[in-house]
Amino acid sequence: MKNFLVIFITTFFLMEIHNTHASVNNLEAENFVKEITNEGLTEIINSNVSQKEKDERFAKLFNQALDLKYIGQFVLGRYWRTASPKQKEEFINIYRQLNVQTWSKRFDEFKGKEFIFEGTSPSNSANQIFVNSKVPMDEGKPATVIWRVKQTGDKYKIVDIIIENVSLAITARSEYTSFIKNSPTGIDGLINNLKQKTQQN
Amino acid sequence: MLKYITLLTFSLIVFIPNSQASENNDWLESYNRSMFEFNYQLDKYAFKPLAKGYRAITTPDMRYRVDSFIDNIREPLTVVNHTLQGNIKETFVSLGRFLINSTLGLGGMFDVASGWGLKKNLTGFDDTLAHYCVPDGPFIVVPILGPFTPRSLASYTADAFVSPMYWLPRNDKNYADKISFSYAAIVAIHARERGLDLLDDIERGSVDYYSTIRSAYIQNRQKLNNYCSHQNQNNTPSYDFDFDVDEEFEFE
Repeated sequence: MKNFLVIFITTFFLMEIHNTHASVNNLEAENFVKEITNEGLTEIINSNVSQKEKDERFAKLFNQALDLKYIGQFVLGRYWRTASPKQKEEFINIYRQLNVQTWSKRFDEFKGKEFIFEGTSPSNSANQIFVNSKVPMDEGKPATVIWRVKQTGDKYKIVDIIIENVSLAITARSEYTSFIKNSPTGIDGLINNLKQKTQQN
Repeated sequence: MLKYITLLTFSLIVFIPNSQASENNDWLESYNRSMFEFNYQLDKYAFKPLAKGYRAITTPDMRYRVDSFIDNIREPLTVVNHTLQGNIKETFVSLGRFLINSTLGLGGMFDVASGWGLKKNLTGFDDTLAHYCVPDGPFIVVPILGPFTPRSLASYTADAFVSPMYWLPRNDKNYADKISFSYAAIVAIHARERGLDLLDDIERGSVDYYSTIRSAYIQNRQKLNNYCSHQNQNNTPSYDFDFDVDEEFEFE
């Protein structure tokens, strides 16, 4: 009876773990990232349109592909809980704006390059998966780019991009929480600083 | 000077045996921030202008040749470390690359060996120490040199000792230091030129430059630490952290 119980409980937990990972559709998640990168390369970087049009297209694609509300909550860390609704809204908006501006410029560096996709890897976080890719460089080894994708229903969103083992979400979280910790102006100071950054860019 | 750095770094490794570089464990933060600021100002008024000047007077092709030359100088170091890591095939590949590129490749400026199927796979003492699970130690900002961990600093020093540009000129005492320091200066300015755009870009978007650099440096090193065979038993990559948020917040 005791052995039966142990087997039953173990099987139950194994099924639960399996279900957690199986809930994300590997193929669809990979195709989602492929479509996004293809659209970015063909419709933005390599297209023959004005820079203004390129920036607008990039902002649209960026907002469609990334769940910035989700990422924004993560990067504020424990300070998210203490922030007022107004601060939360202001932070997410300015964080979105800064990211669009920064990545619009960085994305241009992919001109003439391609993403080679190499399947997916499971994540320990529920409903999330990693899509693995490489970008051949002009010299040296190809750069490793890993996309963390979250599935909600039949919708997919990118929640982190890991370039050469450096997670953009973790880097931003480290930067923002450190700023708030060391600044007497706290979250408001961070928001104002980010606003200044967007005006300088 | 090199001897003192070696002694200091090996002492740090010995006295901090179980410590790993971690953003939550930056107990040297106060010192690190001060030194980071010092290095930043030094870079702003010395290294960065030199790197920009170097970029202005050279073409991308010339810089590519310099890059190949520096990589070729690193091949003997690579041979030693592939051997130490027990990677015999790569040892012979690196040895072949060094012999071919030093002669037919005109001192390494042209990578002839890659065309013959001997692909570049540089390694150093840092990889070797990581391979044998030597702890990384805490994040530390070194004067002039920048971000390190005790292990990476010890490896950097050991790499310098093994480099042909350190031991070849030793025969001529009049020129030994001049050649070694000139080479070190070329390597430093060349490296700074390569990082010009990326570092400018990171600084422009950052509200706390020190934290950004620290975080990126530590995360990047986690990849190296995965070489450790004991850690490989745990296959969870460092970037697979718990990424769950409340999602109670809704607005449009």
